[in-house]
Amino acid sequence: MLNEDRIELMTKMAAYENRQGKKDMPINSYFRGDYISFQVLKSALYATVGFALAVAMYILYDIEGFLTDFYKMDIPEFVKDMGVKYAIVLAVYLLISYFVYAFRFTRAKKHIKKYVAQLKELEEMYEWE
Amino acid sequence: MTNLLVIKEQLIGFFSRFEAYIKAVIKFLISMVALLLINSDLGYMSKIDNGALVLIVSLLCSFLPMNLIVIILGGFILLHLYALSLECALVVGIVFVILFVVYLRFAPTDSASVILMPICYMLKIPYVVPLTLGYVGNPMSCVATACGTVIYYMLEYVKANAEQISSLGSDAESALGSFKYLIDGLLGDDEMLLMVITSAVVVIAVYMIKSLPIDYSWKIALGMGVVVNVLIILIGCSALEVDMSIGGVFVSTMISAIIVLIIQFFIFNVDYSRTENVQFEDDEYYYYVKAIPKVSVEAPDVNVKRFSLYDEDDEEVYENMHEEFYAQEQ
Repeated sequence: MLNEDRIELMTKMAAYENRQGKKDMPINSYFRGDYISFQVLKSALYATVGFALAVAMYILYDIEGFLTDFYKMDIPEFVKDMGVKYAIVLAVYLLISYFVYAFRFTRAKKHIKKYVAQLKELEEMYEWE
Repeated sequence: MTNLLVIKEQLIGFFSRFEAYIKAVIKFLISMVALLLINSDLGYMSKIDNGALVLIVSLLCSFLPMNLIVIILGGFILLHLYALSLECALVVGIVFVILFVVYLRFAPTDSASVILMPICYMLKIPYVVPLTLGYVGNPMSCVATACGTVIYYMLEYVKANAEQISSLGSDAESALGSFKYLIDGLLGDDEMLLMVITSAVVVIAVYMIKSLPIDYSWKIALGMGVVVNVLIILIGCSALEVDMSIGGVFVSTMISAIIVLIIQFFIFNVDYSRTENVQFEDDEYYYYVKAIPKVSVEAPDVNVKRFSLYDEDDEEVYENMHEEFYAQEQ
């Protein structure tokens, strides 16, 4: 016999699995610290690419001056200057990523908790039969 | 008002039932409008400035994810700029990648607004996007509005200075110097900076106020969004010495607010349930379930009858009811 209550519950669960669940499930396989640090690390990679491009633009901006002054330039000073700027950009970017991904982790956990409760409910339905 | 509510219920019912098709149509329309605007505004590469191509690409876009559509549109822009000047395409390309890196990390679900923002700028109602994103997005959506704003102002600059840009870099030496001219022009626009800041603050302000646990928080959020928008532009105009018509900004903000109100009423005010097509199985069966949400259209002839127990006229009615009740009890 078809159990309508069970089908209703299973439909709800399947709908979650198809939509938000697809995003939540991978997050659920990490510990909080692991997930956030992995995502922050990924952000660091993105920030590095962005910063490298910004430096490229900065050099392009005054490429003539850069080329003529290149041999007179204090290279260590230039590198240090860029290093400090990179550190600042990275720090801001990583801080924002930390908050964003901590929030996403908490949200996913909340959804999963509800899903697990539904699973238990489903199990109980089977036991009743 | 009741009529409007009935229309709204029907619309929600229609939308939740045919969501998959409606989404494809919307994607098609957005990408076609964007491509047509790009072609008419930039149109430097005649090969891709072609109605049939636009139609094919937009049809293709209707099945693609939004982020891919953004990349395709970006590609169109870069091709046009490449035909105009290699240096210009290079600079804009670098800016695109930087924007994409930031945006992909924080607001990958708001790609529609990256495209809609420039379109709304062209329609002179750019404030619709940040005001709406405050409701449907999250604080990080300000990244998407910023990207859209930067793209619009860069394209405007290219459009206004196409002749100078195409004459740049005719020989190797001036090519090197042209980068300075281009970067100054493309990114040195104070109005762009002001609009990036304004849209970001508006998104965050609307988001925070609408989430407050107070009555009418949605309405207050829109009102405050409008006020914040006009105020920041006013202050920014004097601080950054930007020349913007304050009357124009005010009128455009008001029109945007009205549009947002309409959008809100019909679409975003309700957490509509959608049609779900799911498959699952248990020990005995395979299930292929299509769950269609019930649409309850409110009956237009709602009759509210008020009576007070202590009203002298109604006392008799009340006593009769009492007697009937006790008679039934016994």
